[in-house]
Amino acid sequence: MSVVKYIGRTTDFRGKTLWELVGNLRDFGVGRLLIRNKFQRYEEPCYMRILKVEVTPHDPAKDPIRKVAVTVEKTWRGVVSPKPVTIYSTSYKPDYELVPKEEEQKYLNNNKKVSEQILANSIDFPPLLREFIRQETGVQEPTMKVHHKQTHNKLVRLAKDGEKPTIECTMGLGRPASPKLYENVL
Amino acid sequence: MLRTTTGVLSRLTINETKTTGSAFALEFVRWRRKPRWLPVAKSKLFRVPERKQQNADEKAELMRLHNNYKLQMRSLRQYLREEVLRLNVTTTADHIVLTPEQEEAEFQRCMQENEAWNQKIAVERNERLQRELEEKAVEIRQRLEAARIREEERLERADEVVRREIELSKSFITRDKLDTAIEQALANPVDYNFSLDLKGNIYRGRNTVPGGKGTPTLGGANEIEVQQTLKASN
Repeated sequence: MSVVKYIGRTTDFRGKTLWELVGNLRDFGVGRLLIRNKFQRYEEPCYMRILKVEVTPHDPAKDPIRKVAVTVEKTWRGVVSPKPVTIYSTSYKPDYELVPKEEEQKYLNNNKKVSEQILANSIDFPPLLREFIRQETGVQEPTMKVHHKQTHNKLVRLAKDGEKPTIECTMGLGRPASPKLYENVL
Repeated sequence: MLRTTTGVLSRLTINETKTTGSAFALEFVRWRRKPRWLPVAKSKLFRVPERKQQNADEKAELMRLHNNYKLQMRSLRQYLREEVLRLNVTTTADHIVLTPEQEEAEFQRCMQENEAWNQKIAVERNERLQRELEEKAVEIRQRLEAARIREEERLERADEVVRREIELSKSFITRDKLDTAIEQALANPVDYNFSLDLKGNIYRGRNTVPGGKGTPTLGGANEIEVQQTLKASN
């Protein structure tokens, strides 16, 4: 057995491009299960089922990157996207892997869900600004709105009125993620 | 880093000079680094850079602190942005707030002031226009007068020319006067010839000599010459 020796930069990707996978399958692999290796770090199931494959024009002289448009039914962290998703711009990434038919059940039976997280709506002011606002308005504990980034796949939600958030937002340093780093400090 | 590499590079250059053995093969090492456009060195071609393993606890804590800070700053910026907008809408600091009646009165006052200015400027403008009109009229009159004088002078000159021509026409040779004119011309031959001496004196006439008047010294020979030239020319 030959020894595989990698040279060059290291990469986080592991697998093949979609073109390599789909081109070798009967019927372009429609109905088969795909995974992105990058997303296998999550406990919740992340996989895609191929619905349609469309070959796009390609000129190797202009652009050596070979892309292919693959429409999939996408499950990401246990959430099935309501509409089919077309993978095109990321199809060249050598990070896809085909799931053998006998192993598909492993992904399909994984029923883990992301636990519901609730984000805080308000946050304290920084100390000096808080003092100014106290002097001006007389409110003893003024708070402002928190600016949370909007993303298309956010699995957390904002707290409703009177709800206790699971993720607190503080103006200070907050609770350490790994308290042992702070042991014997100060 | 530079200090550590200088040793290696100086050794390299020395080796090179030794092997090539030519003074022209000197390489000046100014920047102690391979330029970006050179390919990977042969010795480094198959090197796989090591992935540094970060402590998972540290990584998580640093990530949390970073996110915390970013969230705080984003929230603060949002608050200040909204505060500025709110102040711009409600504040009266940079402009005076007026009731509609006051605004109307202010507008009327501005209009009256504007009217007054306009009238004042209109008076000045009319005066200036009047003055310019008069100046223009004077100038036109002067130019008309000058033109009239020029025309009169021109007519005068033309009259003069006509008079002179009429005067001259009395001596014109008409068909009636032709015979008398010929006779007169034959009777009074005009000799336009003249000769010059070295002092520039002019002697009118073909046969005039410096000493006296009208003595033909070389008359015969001259006539023969003239006839010869006439023949030659014919």
